[in-house]
Amino acid sequence: MTTSISDMYGEESKLEGLLAKFDEATEILAAAADYAKPLKVRRVLDTARRVILQEGGCAALEERAEKFERAGVFLGSDWAVPQTLVSSLTTRAFASPDDETVVIEALSELRLLAVVMGRYVHSQVTIHQARRFLTRVLAVNLSLLFTSPSEAERETQGRLALVPRAVLRHLADRIGYENVIGNLIEEIWRILYQRPIQVDHIKRMVTQISICQANPDIDLGTSGQGSERLVSSLYGPTQASREDPGLEVYRQRLESMDTNTLQNEATGFARAMRDTGLVSPYHPVLVRFLLDKGDHLLSEAFGLSTTGRDCLLCYQQLVYALIEEAVHPSTAQAVYGLSLMLERGILFQPPVAPALWRQIGLPLSDWSEARLRFVFGDEATPRSRLLEGVLCMLGLPLGVGQGNNPTCQSARALSMWAYNDPDYLLQMVTWAARDDEIIMHFEGQPISSRESYAGVAKELPVDLDPVSLLVVPHLDRIYTEMGRRCADREGDPHRWINPEFHGWWTGRGFRINVDVATGVLQDLEAFIRHFYACYHPFYNGNQPLIHPQPAGIVVTDSAARFVGWHAITLMRVALDAQNVMRVYFYNPNDDSGQDWGDGVVVSTTGNGERFGEASLPFEQFASRLYIFHFDPLEGGEVAKVSRDELDRVIGLIHRSWGADRIPDLGLQAEAEGNGIHSGEIGE
Amino acid sequence: MEKDPNKGYVALLGWSLNAVEAAETFNRRYVVVAPDWAEAYCKEHTIPYLLWNYERLNERSMEIAETLQEMGVDVAVPLFEETVEWAGAINSVLLDNPRLLGQAMLMRDKSLMKRRAQLGGIRVGIFEEASDRGDVIRFLKRVNQALLKLDGDPNDPIHFKAFDKAGCLGHRVIRTPDDVDAIPEEEFPALMESHLDGWEFAVEAWIYDRKIRFLNISEYVTLGYSVFVPATPELEQYRPRITAEIEKLIKAFDIDFGFVHPEYFVTSDGEMYFGEVAYRPPGFKVFELLERAYGFNAYQGLILCFDPKTTEEELDAFFPREVVDARGYAGSFGVYPRRRVVSRLEVPEETEGHPYFDYHELTTPLEEIVTKRTAFGTHWGLVYFYGENPYTMRDLLKRQEELDYYV
Repeated sequence: MTTSISDMYGEESKLEGLLAKFDEATEILAAAADYAKPLKVRRVLDTARRVILQEGGCAALEERAEKFERAGVFLGSDWAVPQTLVSSLTTRAFASPDDETVVIEALSELRLLAVVMGRYVHSQVTIHQARRFLTRVLAVNLSLLFTSPSEAERETQGRLALVPRAVLRHLADRIGYENVIGNLIEEIWRILYQRPIQVDHIKRMVTQISICQANPDIDLGTSGQGSERLVSSLYGPTQASREDPGLEVYRQRLESMDTNTLQNEATGFARAMRDTGLVSPYHPVLVRFLLDKGDHLLSEAFGLSTTGRDCLLCYQQLVYALIEEAVHPSTAQAVYGLSLMLERGILFQPPVAPALWRQIGLPLSDWSEARLRFVFGDEATPRSRLLEGVLCMLGLPLGVGQGNNPTCQSARALSMWAYNDPDYLLQMVTWAARDDEIIMHFEGQPISSRESYAGVAKELPVDLDPVSLLVVPHLDRIYTEMGRRCADREGDPHRWINPEFHGWWTGRGFRINVDVATGVLQDLEAFIRHFYACYHPFYNGNQPLIHPQPAGIVVTDSAARFVGWHAITLMRVALDAQNVMRVYFYNPNDDSGQDWGDGVVVSTTGNGERFGEASLPFEQFASRLYIFHFDPLEGGEVAKVSRDELDRVIGLIHRSWGADRIPDLGLQAEAEGNGIHSGEIGE
Repeated sequence: MEKDPNKGYVALLGWSLNAVEAAETFNRRYVVVAPDWAEAYCKEHTIPYLLWNYERLNERSMEIAETLQEMGVDVAVPLFEETVEWAGAINSVLLDNPRLLGQAMLMRDKSLMKRRAQLGGIRVGIFEEASDRGDVIRFLKRVNQALLKLDGDPNDPIHFKAFDKAGCLGHRVIRTPDDVDAIPEEEFPALMESHLDGWEFAVEAWIYDRKIRFLNISEYVTLGYSVFVPATPELEQYRPRITAEIEKLIKAFDIDFGFVHPEYFVTSDGEMYFGEVAYRPPGFKVFELLERAYGFNAYQGLILCFDPKTTEEELDAFFPREVVDARGYAGSFGVYPRRRVVSRLEVPEETEGHPYFDYHELTTPLEEIVTKRTAFGTHWGLVYFYGENPYTMRDLLKRQEELDYYV
């Protein structure tokens, strides 16, 4: 009986039936008072999900966009404030196993599309903003547009995975593919300027572009400018690999080349790699071929300067062994990691070379092997994969990313060690990968990662580089255990954790500008003055920062609202080309280029940043800082910071995350000398 | 909505957003009496609110009654099983009627209510109280002996219900001594009943001035899985007999006003057995189903039947005529994962494609391992259906039991 009834409904009337249900649900939602809307929204979303999956469903919802938004579908969620939405987050929303998240994201896109099409005049976003946002959404989700659900998506989302695809296809039909590709290319370059260790997803996107370009059914118009470099750096950076001939054919071609031609090939690869940070799978074929052709060509293939070449020559055997073990077409990024590591000259630090020898022969525990295989597959052996990861981390210390995990502290520690204490990093990798245990000491007491309870992260990470994948779970547990041992102490535990966790160079002096118990701002002015005195070259006797220092920042969204506390590393403070004093810092987030609202936009390129660094003008940075360390024995000139400058910083704080943390001024007037003003006297 | 100062002022005991919404859009003044976690939400949305953390009735119980009395509240309406005795205690003060507390205590004790029903001449199955596992084994044996079963024959099951839990919570079917071992200590004392092979259904009756004002029969397709309203004509044919049963119930329990939600069995020979009765809105969102089917707000009906200032005209105008006024049939299905390991929620395609399918309130699984189901009544969320034909509805709900929502 049930089947015959559903058979009676044809496809078209099915959509009509669903739309009637959707309209009814929307009306009920619209009629409900604000407090009761949470009860009614479920029905709207669930019906919308089914509408989207019908042919013509997206168009029907686009028509109803104004109605459902006014009814309150987005009420109380981030989507209610479309001007602050971040396009790159749509990827995660669309991949969520939670159908409400997927559908609300889809409805938000359809609503913005209605704005673009001029059928919905929105009070918060303009046509231009909406169009720009949607093209970005398409760009970052491009792969969804052209592929059917992957095994992983099927596993977590099932039929739900078809929802984002249906919506994106509708968007692309309406907006056109041209904008999509153009934006995608811009986006890729922006990320690549930050030189992340993990580039697999970028390689996938570049592949997407080249597939689109090769498909005669997709009209890209004039877009795609600037994509040639990306596509060619992966699929044909040199004369002999230009038409993407396949690895074996390319290797055979190398056999018949003279030195000059080989030299051209080597330079071609090196240039492509240096330009993009991406390594073509052909590149390792050449590198391995050159192993018995002399160091000169090899050095060319790595694009080395004199420092790198010296390193190569001094540690020739080691470098050859590293290439043998780690450089394969499936681990192509190892070429870039190795090249940059040589350039850094860290092999000249006595313990690093022997530590790398240990790494080459390191036996991995069963657990480590299984984890590496689970995440990276069987294309390369777990040991090669890990070695590639080690080379990349040593070559790109600021390319470490935390993935979609709450483990910013551990990512920061890895990056700091790779930068500042590489042999210590190698020790950590050894313990984690071979012994499945790391022991660190906290105030003289050993803490074993094996005996400690769960860390900040609830699940094992999967979206990390090979080194982080193995080491972060240990560090995370140790970090959490250190916190546990500080639980009964007053104030913020990072005062004690950071120096013990990150390294001796972390200043034992500690300042924080919020009261831990109440979350209210405290000693704000003194805090800012002190930060200037410690870090600003005009107030600290022009002393450049010596060691990277951990610091705590407050992340705010593009509407300058509080998002969360976050761990970063202060790298340097210096004048940029425009004579603006900037703080250069490392952010373990995968993408440092973020808009923190109220004009505070973190820059990742164009203002003197080195690869992987983020930067802000000193004042703006100070306004998002809440914890820093200092050497208590080194004093700067606290008094010299001008009133104007202080007021600007305080203004930035009060207009953003500090807005609802300002201490009660009424009380202060009654009891003068308490609260934020007393700090000044203390300093 | 504009409040009528000449009408009653009601206190809603317990937090239910649906009830709040109903009260807000009704002409009676109201106040929500709920634990502290509801405070922020009430403040944010200016919902009249009084803080009360419900624990066992104790010496402070008088305090809440007096506070409500000072506020001018006329009557307290229980929304959950746990607040029934509170409503009784409070109303005995507000309405100056000490009998109401005793009545509420009866409603909270499954064994006492059965004895009371028996005394009122209502037919009940064989039942006994159990204070430990030994009692359960003994009862299981005795019932099966009475059925002339031999050793080795499969036992007829017995039902085991914790005294003071709502609906299906703590309701177990016991067949073997192993089942007895699985009962957790905290579910004692409990009521045990013989199993009746028959058709189980529930009734929702709104009562005012000792008269039934609206009587709904909820048909269970399978107990603990699904329910729909109104019932099929097969069950509705018993309506006159059911009405007579409810009238007996009103007499036996001395119910002047309010709302009762009893459960009955009809055996194959047409005999009606009383199961239990609750003095609060039923589970499985039956109130919401009634609104979907009839278009009246069952919570407002509840307020109406508790308010001492309600008039006959209001009652007549408010309630529709049973069955004939229903626009369709509304049902809900409680989903239990059928597999031991699940990774995601996926509403079966055949369900989703069915024109009766309304929407679902299922949650995404947080854990992959499904805890073994021990008692009835721990479903993962409800799925709602609506349509014109009661038989299609019944078959559709039955069919859901064979489908995987969690895979």
